[in-house]
Amino acid sequence: MTSRPILLVEDNPDDVVLTLRALKKNNILNPISVATDGAEALKFLFDGDGTNLAGPGLILLDLKLPKVDGLEVLHRIRADERTRLIPVVVLTSSKLEEDILSSYRNGANAYVRKPVNFAEFAAAIKTLGMFWLLLNEPVPE
Amino acid sequence: MAQPPLEDMAVSRDWASGRLFAAMVNSSDDAIVGETLDGVIASWNPAAEGMYGYAAAEIVGRPATVLYPPGVEDEGQETLAKIGRGEHVPHYETFRRRKDGTDFPASVTVSPIHDEADRLIGTSSFTRDMTEQMHARAAAEVLYRADDLKTANGSLENFTYSVSHDLRAPLRAMSGFSAALLEDYGGALGEDGRRYAERIVAASEHMAALVDNLLRLSRLSRAEMHLDSVDLGAEAAQIAAELQRDDPGRHVRFAVQRPVRVRADRALIRMVMHNLLGNAWKFTSGRDDALIEFGTAPAADAPVCYYVRDNGAGFDPAYTHKLFSPFQRLHPASEFPGTGIGLAIVRLIVERHGGRVWAEGAVGEGAAFYFTLDGEESS
Repeated sequence: MTSRPILLVEDNPDDVVLTLRALKKNNILNPISVATDGAEALKFLFDGDGTNLAGPGLILLDLKLPKVDGLEVLHRIRADERTRLIPVVVLTSSKLEEDILSSYRNGANAYVRKPVNFAEFAAAIKTLGMFWLLLNEPVPE
Repeated sequence: MAQPPLEDMAVSRDWASGRLFAAMVNSSDDAIVGETLDGVIASWNPAAEGMYGYAAAEIVGRPATVLYPPGVEDEGQETLAKIGRGEHVPHYETFRRRKDGTDFPASVTVSPIHDEADRLIGTSSFTRDMTEQMHARAAAEVLYRADDLKTANGSLENFTYSVSHDLRAPLRAMSGFSAALLEDYGGALGEDGRRYAERIVAASEHMAALVDNLLRLSRLSRAEMHLDSVDLGAEAAQIAAELQRDDPGRHVRFAVQRPVRVRADRALIRMVMHNLLGNAWKFTSGRDDALIEFGTAPAADAPVCYYVRDNGAGFDPAYTHKLFSPFQRLHPASEFPGTGIGLAIVRLIVERHGGRVWAEGAVGEGAAFYFTLDGEESS
């Protein structure tokens, strides 16, 4: 299992706690960074000494975010040579067709609608973690 | 500033001669018609000929009433009476009739004509054909409405988005933290406490389902319709097979009339059939001899109506009016689960097809749901 960190971009503190809990429950022990809005996510990836650029092995991205929205974050990630290969899973409440389409058009690797039921939510997080961090062969470093 | 008297003007002689007046009348785009005090047409300019279709030779000498369509035929007399009393007649909008019998919207100005002794001898009316202006006005109105509708749809779109996103997050928190309580503090909560936490989980899921259904309803009301030839009987048979496959323990007899061809949006009308047959399936769950029928019957206000009938739990006819409202349920969820949106969806779709839906039933004696559609095809 890759030990690279997960970047969780999520503005809702409840969802942050529940996502962290679901990861922990499923023994996904990778380090997790949390950005609570789009600007913070971009700052995390692109500012500083550049060590975070290749950092995350997976980005879990909410769409509706304060300041810079998720689609814009996704667009910026895909536009930059240094980050464009990081797997990005859109994890959102919306199942609007437009959101799904725009996400894929902007280069999302997957689109998952957060279930309301926690058991289902935890199962979704588990599946995502298993697939992207364990089963899927990552881009060679 | 007062007008200088005609005599003072350089061209006064030409004006006074009437030659220029005649030229103006002849070149005007407005129909200029002179009438005597008896309402007989006395003069008729080329624009009048173009507008009404009568040549001057055939209309001069005839009563002006031939130009008035039914409903405004008294207009001429009233105008004459007013002018006779010395009243000013303000410009007004009305209708006029052409020689070919067609009517057009007109803007009319009527003024008195006096002879040299200042005696009133008749009237002159200036008539403008307003057809194009009316069209332009109607078009502007349509644009304005479309714009309004666009704005309304836009805000509905935002509302929809906000409902889908914002309402689900707190529900997830309710479900998630109740589950966390159960998992981490289940022992401390005790049996009652655990049951309460489970109720919170169940209620938040139920509300999530309601929100989703509300969204579906709002999207359905705006979905584009693509009319197609659809065999409702074939749809019914297919849905029946699906219901049977998903619940193989049930013994339900289906009697489906085929083919029943209609013009409808396939996806939408399928949803209607799915809801009606699904309800019939659900509400016959207490019967070993369940029978679900689909067919056509005569209707009062349409060539034919379609029905889905079952011999299940039925409903109290006193509440028929509540059946088709969203989230109205006539049965306890413990007995027959559901969110109460199915029949609201049925009504919405049927009405979007220009039809109507109604129901008949009695407690313990089954239910029948009927609907009509606008675009029937012969079976």
